[in-house]
Amino acid sequence: MHHVVLDRWSRGESALHRRDARAKTIAVLVFLIVLATARRSFLTLSACYLGILVAVIIAAGLPLMGVLKRAAVVLPFTAVFAAISLAAGEPMRAAALVGKSYLSALAVLILVSSTPLPQLLGGLERMGVPRYLLMVAQFLYRYLFVISEEAQHMRAALQAKSGSLRNNLRNREKFGAPAGVLSVLFARSYAHAEGVHQAMQARGFRGHFLTLSGRSFARADAVFVAAALILIVGTRAVVEVLV
Amino acid sequence: MPRLFRSCYCRNGLGMHIPDGFLSTPVWATLDVTAAPVVGYLARRAQRGIEPSKVPLLGVMGAFVFAAQMINFPVGPGTSGHLVGAALLAYTLGPAAAGVVLTAILAVQALVFQDGGILAMGANVINMAVAGMLAGYLPYSIWGAGRWRRQAIFLGGFLSLMTSALLALSELLLSGVAMPAAVLRISVGLFAVSAVLEGAITLAIMQALETINPEFVRQPRAEGGRVLGWIGGAAVLLAVAGVAVASAYPDGIQSLADATGIASQAKALMRAPLADYQLGMLHSVFLRKAGAGLAGLGLIFGACMLCGKLLARQRGA
Repeated sequence: MHHVVLDRWSRGESALHRRDARAKTIAVLVFLIVLATARRSFLTLSACYLGILVAVIIAAGLPLMGVLKRAAVVLPFTAVFAAISLAAGEPMRAAALVGKSYLSALAVLILVSSTPLPQLLGGLERMGVPRYLLMVAQFLYRYLFVISEEAQHMRAALQAKSGSLRNNLRNREKFGAPAGVLSVLFARSYAHAEGVHQAMQARGFRGHFLTLSGRSFARADAVFVAAALILIVGTRAVVEVLV
Repeated sequence: MPRLFRSCYCRNGLGMHIPDGFLSTPVWATLDVTAAPVVGYLARRAQRGIEPSKVPLLGVMGAFVFAAQMINFPVGPGTSGHLVGAALLAYTLGPAAAGVVLTAILAVQALVFQDGGILAMGANVINMAVAGMLAGYLPYSIWGAGRWRRQAIFLGGFLSLMTSALLALSELLLSGVAMPAAVLRISVGLFAVSAVLEGAITLAIMQALETINPEFVRQPRAEGGRVLGWIGGAAVLLAVAGVAVASAYPDGIQSLADATGIASQAKALMRAPLADYQLGMLHSVFLRKAGAGLAGLGLIFGACMLCGKLLARQRGA
């Protein structure tokens, strides 16, 4: 499962991994905005940014090919629209679509593979994102694998029991079997959630998560943000002036 | 074909996730600015409306919607569909909680699965977690308790997907992503097929759920009238987006209207109030688009807040 890979990557020990989640989030947001608003000499700029991101991946000790490959999951969607743009005679727009979407995905991927998700969400909370939403997201991420595994078992059972279901039954019955499976999955998830809550209450859960590592925004984080800002904005300025 | 289409458009389910790099700056910025207070409001509303013990429930239900995509519904030879779930969540958790769960799903998809962009998050949240979800809830809240219940559930599933998809298409068009009329027509047609499927799947699951335990499903009357204000907002939102596209791309919207008939109504409905904004002193195309978009969305947000306040006061009195 590929998300497990992400969990492993995010627990590395590099200078980038040690930075505060807020610092990295700010840097990525700045990068995304600067990239999204870029227009002139886009090809040179995206080549420069790709170089910078590759350098960051290597510096953070992440597997280069693995990260580049994972970020490529945006490309099928992009390719459809890039092809349409090409057909409409706008090659520059097609290049911009591919470049911008890939580089953005790469930047976000570097963020999440150098920051464990609980820390990232904790950082977002301190940046003002509603805590309730983040708690739901955290529960979601935690139980995603549990419920998915259950769904896989049920899918296997469904396939084993309904061999020729696809073609031989009337429409209503065709839908009945998977709908029944999903409603059972729903009921199990519901019961699961109640059990989870009781277990958490028994351990003193009072409505919000407590974290052990109360990370603070150190001077190194401020330096990191400043350096990232200068690098990102500076690159674009230099490219736009020179090219 | 629908499966190929789904794998291109809806890799992880919820509909059309717009990645970063597709939307023009005025579009994503406007939608981010709009989505932030809406999500904050939904979170507060969900927190108040649901007992604290339900926080894990919302998370686990989000995981359920994720996992539900693994179960395929056979449609015809060689094709199948799966649950998208916005309408189902609204029926089972209530609209505010459903909005929070859907937003959380979008956040996890964008961060963990690189499905949908970060700057485009506002757009995706508005399309799917807010407008799509509310459009799905609209028929249920009106007819959900009467003898048209089944039809309302089906229609809700259909509308939730269709609204999200049309909004996403409008935003792409508004951002200048080239889409010839033929491609647009095929897209809308395929989205309509997916939406019919979503309606049928939602209905089948709702019926199965009610046989297991009727308490899983929220009765629409319990929510009362204030929901309708929100629903109205969602409908207007859809209309405004259609109109914004209509004004910027008359050709594109024409085929949209031909294909669905929805946009043409929207055009007629909303042409008048928005015309003022465009005839104003905003001359550059960039500013005009941004201005019209912001003004329209501000209008909706104001209307929603007002409706909510008024209805809340009415209930209090």
